[in-house]
Amino acid sequence: MSLAISVNGTRHELDVDPHATLLDVLREELALTGAKEGCTEGECGACTVLVDGAAVDACLLVALSVEGAEIETVEGVSGDSGVLSPLQRELVDLGGVQCGFCTPGLVMSLTALLRESSSPSRAQIEETLAGNICRCTGYAQVIEAVEAAAAQKATP
Amino acid sequence: MSTVIGASVPRTDGVSKVTGEAVYAVDYEEPGMLHARLLRSPVAAGVITRLDTSKARELPGVHGVFTAEDAPSARAGWVLREQRLFDGELLRYEGEPIAGVVADTREQATAALDAIELEIDELEPIADPTAAVAPGARLVHPEWESYAPAGPDDHPRRENVAAELLHDADPEAFEQAFSSAHAIVEDEYTVPRQYQAYLEPKSAVASYREGRYTVHTAHQYPFNIRDRLAQFLDVRPSTIRVIGHHIGGAFGGKLDAGLEHYAALFARLCGRPVKLVNSREEDILTCPSRSNAIIRIRTALAADGTILARELIELIDNGAYSGETPWLTSIPMHVLGQVYRPGITRVKSTLAYTNTAPTGAFRGVSGAPLYFAVEQHMDSCAGALGMDRREFRMRNLIGEPYTTLNGQTLEDSALLGEAFTRVEERAPWTERAAGESGDGKLRGSGLAAVTWLTSPAPGSATLKLNEDGTLGLITAATDNGSGAVTMGITQIAADSLGLQPEDVVLLMPDTDAASYDAGSQGSRTTQLAGRATAIAGAELKEKLLAFASSLLEADIADLELEEGHVVVTGAAKRRIPLAQAAAAATFSGGPLTGTGSYATPIPDFNPGCASGMLFPVFPTPSYHVHYAEVEVDLVTGNVSVTRYVVAQEVGRAINPAGVRGQIQGGVVQGIGYALYESLESENGKYRERSLETYRLPLACDVPEVEIILMEHPGDEGPLGAKGVAEPPLVPVAAAIASAVGEAIGHPITRLPIRPDDVLAALSMQS
Repeated sequence: MSLAISVNGTRHELDVDPHATLLDVLREELALTGAKEGCTEGECGACTVLVDGAAVDACLLVALSVEGAEIETVEGVSGDSGVLSPLQRELVDLGGVQCGFCTPGLVMSLTALLRESSSPSRAQIEETLAGNICRCTGYAQVIEAVEAAAAQKATP
Repeated sequence: MSTVIGASVPRTDGVSKVTGEAVYAVDYEEPGMLHARLLRSPVAAGVITRLDTSKARELPGVHGVFTAEDAPSARAGWVLREQRLFDGELLRYEGEPIAGVVADTREQATAALDAIELEIDELEPIADPTAAVAPGARLVHPEWESYAPAGPDDHPRRENVAAELLHDADPEAFEQAFSSAHAIVEDEYTVPRQYQAYLEPKSAVASYREGRYTVHTAHQYPFNIRDRLAQFLDVRPSTIRVIGHHIGGAFGGKLDAGLEHYAALFARLCGRPVKLVNSREEDILTCPSRSNAIIRIRTALAADGTILARELIELIDNGAYSGETPWLTSIPMHVLGQVYRPGITRVKSTLAYTNTAPTGAFRGVSGAPLYFAVEQHMDSCAGALGMDRREFRMRNLIGEPYTTLNGQTLEDSALLGEAFTRVEERAPWTERAAGESGDGKLRGSGLAAVTWLTSPAPGSATLKLNEDGTLGLITAATDNGSGAVTMGITQIAADSLGLQPEDVVLLMPDTDAASYDAGSQGSRTTQLAGRATAIAGAELKEKLLAFASSLLEADIADLELEEGHVVVTGAAKRRIPLAQAAAAATFSGGPLTGTGSYATPIPDFNPGCASGMLFPVFPTPSYHVHYAEVEVDLVTGNVSVTRYVVAQEVGRAINPAGVRGQIQGGVVQGIGYALYESLESENGKYRERSLETYRLPLACDVPEVEIILMEHPGDEGPLGAKGVAEPPLVPVAAAIASAVGEAIGHPITRLPIRPDDVLAALSMQS
C-alpha cells in the first residue's frame, strides 16, 4: 500500500506491506539502519525515532499509521553537514557511549527532551531514560552528557 | 611525556555510534543473501517421533529445509565435545534447534517453520541440578561416556555430573578443627541465572565460496567461533574466516557459538549467503546465562574470631550442554582462599546436566555468586561471635604476600588491605547508614572484598606505518563496547609512535588477517592485546628510528618521536614529518611494520591441591573493596541503593573515563543481579521470555558510583595496566545483600533480593 512520509526532511512515496512497522520501512526500504531492533515490543527503546517531534518506538508503529508525518531519525540529527549536535558531541566526549547499540534511540529520546526543556532536571532525564535501556554504561556518563549539552545551549 | 596515556580521549568509534553510521552484525547484508530461521524445541525434554518437512519445502520463497540428515554428525564443544548441529532424536532443552528453513525473506522462512510437522514424546525434564544428581535420575546424556574432550585430557565426570572439583587439603586437621571449634556456622545460598541482555540480539551472515566459509558476526572471540565451527562442520579451522563487526554488547554471552554454525551450514547447502537473527525470545531462551547454583558454606571459628576451617560445597547448573562451564568448577576454590584466611579447607564443586538451556559465561563468571555467598556467610559468622562485621573481616584478611589454596602466591595482596583503608577514608564504617530513617525506610550498609584475575590468554597485534604517517592496527582483539580496543589499545598504539588516536586506522577483527587473540574475556584485552601492541610499537619505532637516523644524519639514541615528527633531541629544527620518513622508507627499503605477541606467564601453583582442577590459577590479580548503603521501604519491600563506593586496583588507568564507564556499568549490572534479574524455570521452561518480564536496571534505579582508583603499575600489563572490566560487577550483590541484611535484621540467602522476600523477613520479626 502507498505511504507518503517525510524522513529527515526528505519526502518519500513508498509502497509498503500493510503489516510493516515504521522500523521495517526505515531500515529495509530507506536503508536507515541507525534505529535498531532490540526487542520488537517497545521495551528497550533502541528503535526510538521522532514522529512529528514526539519520541516513539518505531518497532510498535504500523508504518501506514504515520501517513503524512515528519519522521526524524538519528541519521538526521547531525544532518548532511556532519556536525554533531551538542548532545552527540558530549556523549562521545564524556564516555556516554560504549557498545552503542542503544545510542541511536537514546539520542532521539534525549533530543526530544532537550527541545522541550532547556535545562532538564536529573529526575526528568532519568524519566526520559526509563524508555531506553542501556546495558553498558550504567547511565551516569549519559546523564552528564545531557547536562553538559543543556549547559551549552543555555550559554549562547 | 605522553599526551595520550592516562588521558580520557574519546573512543574512536564514538562518532559513528552517535550518528547511526556504525554497522553492527545485525545490520550487515550481502548481495543474494537469503534469510533463515530455526525450528526450536518447544519442550524441555523429549524424543522426536516425527519430523516431516515436505509441506514446508513447497512454500513460496523457500530454498531449503534442513534437519539432522543434512548436517555433519560431528560433536563440538569448548571443553567437551557433546553437541551436534541437530541431534535428530533427543531434545534436551527448550529452544534447542531441530531444523532450519532458508527462504528469500524472513517472513517466508517463518511461514515455512509453521508448516513443519513435528511430533514429540515429551519426557519429564531434569529441571534442576538437585534432581540431576539424585540417585536414579534419568541421564540427560545417555551417551556421556562416549564424549571426547576438546583438548588432550579428559576430566572427572560421570552420568549427570559434567565436571567436579574436589579439594581436601588435610581431612584429619579439617575434622579436628570442627570438633574443637568455639562455634560452627553453616549457611546455604541460592543464586539465579542472569541473562547478559546485550541490546543487539545474536546474528550471523555466512557464505560458502571457493571451498571456504566466511562468517560475519558480532563476536567477542573470533578465533573461538572459528574453532567451534571447524568442529561442528568437520573441517580444519583455517577453512573458516570470521569477520567481526561492531558488537552491540556481549558480557560473556557472545564467546561461544551462537548462530554462526547454522548460518554457515545453510550457506553451503543453499549456495547463497544466509543471514540468521535471533528474536529476543530466542535470544533469552538460548542465552548462555550465568549459572544458577546452590552454595553451602560451613565454618569453624575460634573464640577470638579466627577462622579455623571452612568448607564450601557448590552445586552448579550446567544446563543441557557444557560450553565453558566445566572450567568454572575450579572458581570456588580460588574464591574461598584469596580474600580471607580460611583455615583448613575443603571444597567440592559439582556441575550437573539438566534439561535447561546451557549456562555459560557472564562478566565475572562464578565470582558474583560465590563472593555473594562468602560475604553473607562472613556476616553470619560475625553475628555468631557478636563481632562487628568489618572487624571480623579485618581480623581474617589475608596478609602479604599470601599463598592461596592452589599454591599460588599473591605478591601484592597488601593492596586488599589498602582498598579497605581507602573505602574507610571515604565512608567511615562507624558512621555508616543504619537503622530507621524516619520516613518509613530502613537503612543498612555492607562491605565486600574481592580478588579477581586478568585472563592470561594470548593476544597479538601488527602495526604498519602507512606512507601518510598514519598507523594501521591489525588485531583480532574485539571491542565489545568496553573501549579496550577503541580507547586502550588505540592509545597504546598511538603513544608508541608519538601519534594521536585519530592517526590510528583500526581493522575490524578478521581471522584471515590477524594472528590469534583469545577474545574479550577475563578483562584481558587492554592488558594482553595491549601489551602485544606495545611490543609491536617498540619494534616499529626501532625500525623507523634506524631509517630516520640516516635521513637526519643523527645517532639513533638522539632521535625521538614527537607530535608526528622524528626529532633530533635538542635540535628543534632537525625534524622530519613521520609521513615523509614513512614514504621514504616504503619506497627505499620497503614498508615498516612491527608485530607483537604476548601471553601472561602462568604463575607457579600446586597441581596436587585438588582433583578436577581445570582452571588452576588466577594470574595478574587485582583487588577490590565495595561499600553499599541501601534503603528498604517498609511498606513495599523495595530496596534502593542510596550510596555506592568502589575502591579498585587498576594498575594504571590508560583512559580514566573508560575505566569509570566499566566500573559504573559493572556495578549497575551487579545491582541488577542483586535486586532484579533472574531467569526462573518452571519445569525446565523460562518464565521470563522478553525484556518486559526480564527486569533490567534503569537510570532511575542506580546511584552514581563513587570511584577510588588505586594505581600500582604491575609488571605484566602495558604501562602497568591490569584488567578492569569484569571485577566491578563481582562484589556488588555481596555488598548490597550485606546492607539489606543489616537494614532488615535478617540475613539474605537468596538472589535476587525480591520485595516479597524482604516483606516476609520483616513480618517474621514483628
